[in-house]
Amino acid sequence: MTQILRIVYAVYRLFSSFRFRVARRFTRAGAMVFAAIVLGAVMGIDTENTVAYQAFTPLLFLLVCAMIFSWRFRARFSVRRFLPRFGTAGQPLSYAVVLKNNSTRTQSDLMLFDDMTDPRPRFNEWKAVQLANEKRFRSFRVGKDRRRASPFKVASTKSAAIPVVPPGGETEIKIEMLPMKRGVLSFQSVTLARPDPFGLFRAFYKMPLASSLLVLPKRYPLSDFAMPGATRYQEGGVALASNVGQSEEFVALRDYRRGDPLRHIHWRSWAKAGKPIVKEFEDEFFVRHALVLDTFTQDPRSEAFEEAVSVAASFACTIPVQETLLDLLFVGSKAYCFTAGRGVAHGDQMLEILASVLPCANKPFSTLEHLVFNHVGQLSGCICVLLAWDAPRRAFVKKLQAEGIPLLVLIVAETGDAAKIRPDPAEIPERFKILEVGRIEEGLAAL
Amino acid sequence: MKTPPMLVGAALIFWGWQTGYLWAGAVMAMVLEGSRLVKARWDFSDEDFNRIWTVCTLLFLGAAVIAFTDNGGPARFSHFFQNPNLASQTGVGLAAARTGSAILRWLPMVLFLFIAAQAFSSREEIPVTTISLLLRLRWQKARKLGRPLPAVRGMNFSHAYFATCLFAASVHSSAGRQYFWGFCALLAWALWTHRTRRFRAVTWATAMAVVFALGYYGQHGIAQFQSYVQNLDPNWFMHLARRRGVSTDETRTAIGDIGRLKLSGKIVIRLSTEGDAEPPPYLREASYQLFTRSREWRVGRTNQTFEVVSPETNNLDWILLPEKIAPLRVQIACFLPDDSPETGARMGVLPLPTGCARLENLPVFSVKKNLDGAVVAEGPGLVMFDALYGPGATIDAPFEPDERMATNSFFLQHHRRFSVDPKLVTNTNYNPDLFVPAREQPALNEVISQLHITTTNTAEILRVVGSFFQNHFKYSTWQARESRGSRTNETQISRFLLSTHEGHCEYFATATVLLLRQLGIPARYAIGYAVHEKSAGGGYVVRLRDGHSWCLVWNAKRHAWEDFDTTPAIWMQDNGRSWFERISDAWSWVEFQFARFRWGQTNLRPYLLLALAPVVLVLLYQIFFRRKRRLRAGARDSQIEWPGVDSEFYLVEKSLARRGIVRKPGESFSDWIQRAESDPEIASAAAPLRELLKLHYRYRFDPRGLSAEDRRKLRVETEAFLKAITEPRREVLGTANEGH
Repeated sequence: MTQILRIVYAVYRLFSSFRFRVARRFTRAGAMVFAAIVLGAVMGIDTENTVAYQAFTPLLFLLVCAMIFSWRFRARFSVRRFLPRFGTAGQPLSYAVVLKNNSTRTQSDLMLFDDMTDPRPRFNEWKAVQLANEKRFRSFRVGKDRRRASPFKVASTKSAAIPVVPPGGETEIKIEMLPMKRGVLSFQSVTLARPDPFGLFRAFYKMPLASSLLVLPKRYPLSDFAMPGATRYQEGGVALASNVGQSEEFVALRDYRRGDPLRHIHWRSWAKAGKPIVKEFEDEFFVRHALVLDTFTQDPRSEAFEEAVSVAASFACTIPVQETLLDLLFVGSKAYCFTAGRGVAHGDQMLEILASVLPCANKPFSTLEHLVFNHVGQLSGCICVLLAWDAPRRAFVKKLQAEGIPLLVLIVAETGDAAKIRPDPAEIPERFKILEVGRIEEGLAAL
Repeated sequence: MKTPPMLVGAALIFWGWQTGYLWAGAVMAMVLEGSRLVKARWDFSDEDFNRIWTVCTLLFLGAAVIAFTDNGGPARFSHFFQNPNLASQTGVGLAAARTGSAILRWLPMVLFLFIAAQAFSSREEIPVTTISLLLRLRWQKARKLGRPLPAVRGMNFSHAYFATCLFAASVHSSAGRQYFWGFCALLAWALWTHRTRRFRAVTWATAMAVVFALGYYGQHGIAQFQSYVQNLDPNWFMHLARRRGVSTDETRTAIGDIGRLKLSGKIVIRLSTEGDAEPPPYLREASYQLFTRSREWRVGRTNQTFEVVSPETNNLDWILLPEKIAPLRVQIACFLPDDSPETGARMGVLPLPTGCARLENLPVFSVKKNLDGAVVAEGPGLVMFDALYGPGATIDAPFEPDERMATNSFFLQHHRRFSVDPKLVTNTNYNPDLFVPAREQPALNEVISQLHITTTNTAEILRVVGSFFQNHFKYSTWQARESRGSRTNETQISRFLLSTHEGHCEYFATATVLLLRQLGIPARYAIGYAVHEKSAGGGYVVRLRDGHSWCLVWNAKRHAWEDFDTTPAIWMQDNGRSWFERISDAWSWVEFQFARFRWGQTNLRPYLLLALAPVVLVLLYQIFFRRKRRLRAGARDSQIEWPGVDSEFYLVEKSLARRGIVRKPGESFSDWIQRAESDPEIASAAAPLRELLKLHYRYRFDPRGLSAEDRRKLRVETEAFLKAITEPRREVLGTANEGH
């Protein structure tokens, strides 16, 4: 089986490489000429009924001539790329490339291609994806569960036309790109393309230029909602407490939360707002939330997993601006604590962690469970983003409930799988939601 | 990307000129190019373009039907299905090619409406979803599911139409070069606007001239090559295509060929026996009598007439020897490799075990046999049948002197041709089964003198001859070049017998036949296959390399020809199959299974019909019960529990409707309440009603829904409102009653 897969993998690499090269080398007119050559060859076989062979030969020599013209492209350029610090998956971004013509000739009719490192996976990763696909999709099923045409594509960049550059002159080219996946996006080089006199085939001049860009996960807008949880004494003292704790120093007003002492109620505000408002003080008593992200899946390209990361990222970038502290992140088999000094600028750091998180296929879910329970004493509330609602996960949630930790449990399910999850009302916490891929935003809005 | 002005018009005129539709081409060109003069534009929507494309598709289908019927498609196809042979296959191919050509020729007319719509529309580009059903379905599905719609690319189809015109113009058989030059001119026109400005126009023109010059000589070369190929002997291609069958008249041997014999592992026959029974050791195809100077074996009879074997009443069983009881049975599957010149059906010599008396389950059109033991069948390309055989009589008869008398002059001529002494032939005792060419006799006599044969007992002689070859000769597929010192009158057989002592089966069989004849025993040269290899899947397989020759010896006591093989058995040894051969075997099996299906030798066809039954049932079910299913689906839809449908506010709506304030279709609740306020009773309660409506809307549409408190409020206050608007009425009624 592995041998067959290796052959298929080799064919996949060969075919994808061919497609990539053809798409870059041929202009649109060139692609049409190529198609016409194929058509002419097919029709030309029948010399009795058609004279298509008379069209075949000039077209063939036209393309051969174009290729000969594109044999070499000598040029002298220098190039710089200006990338933003972050991008977001699914959000188009643009950046600039500055090109300097070091030759003594005016350069015109050029195109610029920005080259990213080869996104194609190694054999083992590719194999894992194929096997996961086999499990997920039914063969011979037409129309439904269509596989993605290019599942490994990380971003799409548009080629850009370069304006005329005089000798020694510089020009800035704006490149538009669409990152498709979170993670580090590495750039390798910049390629300048020059078409042949007929405008059919391109010659390349490649300049190495390495740089990278961090693509953050896709985020969803979260409505203003109250986090579950009660204040709890945090051992870190004032150094750990940020501006959302309770101390001698009055900081702000906020909504009443269960467990707040009555003496902190700001009566005048209550009268104005019509709901209980309390005063916030800076102290080591504060609400500290943890974000638990389940990464234990066998499918390395699971859409549910990607959406789970997006959901976690949505919380990570929304909660810090609310009145609670979210500084503990449990991702897979690792725990991260972001509290340092008195700032809450750890949202970015959390997103960076989430941008690079990978699915964990070789460890059981219990790894995460042990990790969370090592820190259970510090938790005032917990947001769990889970990928399934099976026995280990149910047991985990039950244990957290038994510790008296208020929970928000979100289950991210593949499209069509949400209806299959039928939780027992006795087992689920008060705040429990199943989010289905494709309807995540809708689900989060109803929180 | 639009085409340059007048280009498509010129292409249309060129198409009209080449295909004989000049007027049509000119009119279409004027209409299309007229769009540059006319300022008015139609604002076609995507839906309009979809409809226009549908019209073009229908036109295309209509053109296809006309082209198909015009070119005799229905007649040729029905003939092919009724009588599948080479001639009808060619006819079908011809009809398909002509239909395709005609459709392509009409394509500019078929697509004209679409391209004209594009030219006169206010849009530069048409969405690709218009012409791609797949993309359209995907887009519609995404819209239905509420998913983000995939980006739809627009395209200007004028370049594609231009290319269509150029290729459609090529559908004619004129040998002139007008098409070539016209095509080049239009191509250069189209490419001129796309040229790269960094190169000078002179460079572009020079390169283009070189391209066209090369193209001219290239197309000239293609035309020449094509005529060369057409003039080649078609039989040469047939030889490439498949192995030819055995000739019952003659067989050429590889005796005297230098080098190694090429042995192919291709499986040609498959056998299966009943239980653990052994298969027959040999499957004979034909036998021959005369060994000629050119190292060929030929039949001795001139009247090579075949006797037609009549089938049994079931048309599947064929009796070759009516009086013989054959106790052994073997199932044989083999291909019929030739085409019958008369009927066009497949035909070939059947490989049969010696002493075969009866063929059963053989679905062929005809079976013929001759006196040399060859059985020729005419029927499908693959046959599977049971051969019943046993020791004793065979279908090939001994030579009868009457035969010579019957066709005296032909017989004489025939035998003279193959260097038989005329005096010998006219001798009444002449028997071709005993004929030994004079050139071989010295070597044979030398061998006989070495054998010291004193007996006249045939069995004893066979034993001595057999052991002579076994002990003194070696099997070899390699033949070295003759040494310089060889005698001038030395033949291949005498060299084999006296000096080399090694050769392949044809050497052994020929030498044995001649030796036995020299010893006065009638013998013949037989060709066919040796059966020795068990198949991995049960039964036996016979490969091309198992092709064998041996001799037939006349047993006067039994009055039958019997197999006598002196080739050392080492030739059958399997030296281990290479991996390539395993793959080849697997492929051969696939081919065999396909051939079985193709030639109707499986029971799959009835099974296919049976398999169709559930499909038909499903279709019937869908036709008859679809309405019900739709109804059920509708019912299911209505069962969906929308949030807030149990809102008590609907009771208010019903209650007011009873009072005559019916909410109109499409009227919002707030408008309806406003209208209801005209009723003085309602007007007094309008304020709480509006509060209730707010709660109802929240309950109905707010994703967070209502809190328990608000939900209770909605219920209680609705009840209160209903009570308020109904109770005064009762009071009024009560007063009236009191009055009475």
